[in-house]
Amino acid sequence: MASASRSLQRKISNAVFVGFCTVAAFVALSALAAILYSLLKNGLGGIDLAIFTQSTPAPGSPGGLANAIVGSLIMCAVAMVIAVVVGVLAGTWLSEYGGDSWYARLVRFMNDILLSAPSILVGLFIYYIAVKPVHGFSGYAGSLALALIAVPVVTRTTEDMLKLQPTALRESGVALGTPVWITIRRIIWRASAGGMITGGLLAFARISGETAPLLFTSLNNQFFSLNMTKPIANLPVVIFNYALSAYDDWRRLAWVGAVLIAAAVLTAQILARILIREPRRS
Amino acid sequence: MNDLSREQFDSYTADVPPGSIKLETRNLNFFYGQTQALFSVTLPVVEKKVTALIGPSGCGKSTLLRALNRIYALYPGHRAEGEIRLDGGDILDPSVDMSMLRARIGMVFQKPTPFPMSIYDNVAFGLRMHENLSNRVMRERVEEALRRAALWDEVKDKLSGSGLGLSGGQQQRLCVARSIAVRPEVLLLDEPASALDPISTAKLEETISELKADYTIVIVTHNLQQAARISDYTGFMYLGRLIEFGETGSLFTNPRSTRTADYVTGRFG
Repeated sequence: MASASRSLQRKISNAVFVGFCTVAAFVALSALAAILYSLLKNGLGGIDLAIFTQSTPAPGSPGGLANAIVGSLIMCAVAMVIAVVVGVLAGTWLSEYGGDSWYARLVRFMNDILLSAPSILVGLFIYYIAVKPVHGFSGYAGSLALALIAVPVVTRTTEDMLKLQPTALRESGVALGTPVWITIRRIIWRASAGGMITGGLLAFARISGETAPLLFTSLNNQFFSLNMTKPIANLPVVIFNYALSAYDDWRRLAWVGAVLIAAAVLTAQILARILIREPRRS
Repeated sequence: MNDLSREQFDSYTADVPPGSIKLETRNLNFFYGQTQALFSVTLPVVEKKVTALIGPSGCGKSTLLRALNRIYALYPGHRAEGEIRLDGGDILDPSVDMSMLRARIGMVFQKPTPFPMSIYDNVAFGLRMHENLSNRVMRERVEEALRRAALWDEVKDKLSGSGLGLSGGQQQRLCVARSIAVRPEVLLLDEPASALDPISTAKLEETISELKADYTIVIVTHNLQQAARISDYTGFMYLGRLIEFGETGSLFTNPRSTRTADYVTGRFG
């Protein structure tokens, strides 16, 4: 009798717990669904050819987001080049050479802090070292700020991915008379390529929607410009400015910009998933 | 000869024909940081013969093997003291070029470790490192290495396929091919069959027996029958010491030490 009641008690508490988890999952997912729904409802209809061919207009005139799209692409590309070079080298050093030395532990710790640093601080920092001294906002400063956000992501994933490679693989390269650094470059990097590219894509996804650091660095530009030494247009800041404006057509462009960023992030995430799941025959 | 008496040394090398030693350690001590793993090991390795190292887990046989090509030098704190002589020259000398040393002494590991590239590139990897060959000669050398590793017939139609797509036994023979492609003089095998099924093991053992014609081979194995089958000389190790060394036949049938006798008859280990 006693065991039957205890069994009933267990069943009830189990049901309550599972029910609670289900509700929590539903709440989280419905928030995401609501965001996606409002994005698509308000933004999808505004996408036309002009978005990609014309620059941001004055209120009331026709226009698109071409300058912001191109500006964002250039800044993200420059930032990713910096982030991949610095991040891959730093991650490789941490995994292959740094070991457990005090310096490696310090670098790892600082990297983790940077990983979670508020992006507005990064923007402010770049403002003080790359904007204020030269008395001008610039695309390069924007790239630098984005790079600073992406570097810790790339560093971390690179280190994690390289550490997954078996010691015997490194030793096999070295046992053939290959110097360690060539073994790393030609064997270990190649073996980890999928994971490292995934890290890069995640870093790209992380920076593509960053607004705060760009407000201090690249600012914005009403016109089409490829000049990285001057302020340059970009999607996040355009969205920020236009969404808060009083003009309907500007707000429409802001929604379209948001859809474009969401699409870019989604694509990067899906590519990353595919690369991680890349079948490994063994 | 330091603390190794002439008598002891003679007892180890009694069976070895004079002038036939390719590689030898003398009074080799090995340390992992503060921990000593090898104690005054003196081991002769006879040219173009198979020398097996046997002993219970943790006895230092892999440590000894890993000292012979100085692969341990990858890790700070690992160090060897004493002498390791290859053709009479001490390879522990700091001036020794590691790349050259490892081209002369190849190594195959416990688990197959194909590189993430094509079968052809796997075998050509070491060749490209050490020699500047024309494409034609390179192809010949790759084929030769794969034939000697008894893998050619199975892979000749898919040389551009990934090395990771082969079976475990094939992967291990690919690793053997990769090592012998650079034409080393000595081949070190660290329990090369322990991750393989019986059929792949038999194939690998056959390969090893054929390679003996041109290479000096040292093999670490947990499998006593394997040591008995394929080796000409056997060293029995226990707690970091080489307890007994001799011709495989006499070590297994007529061991001098009671510890060796206990181990080879299965009383412990």
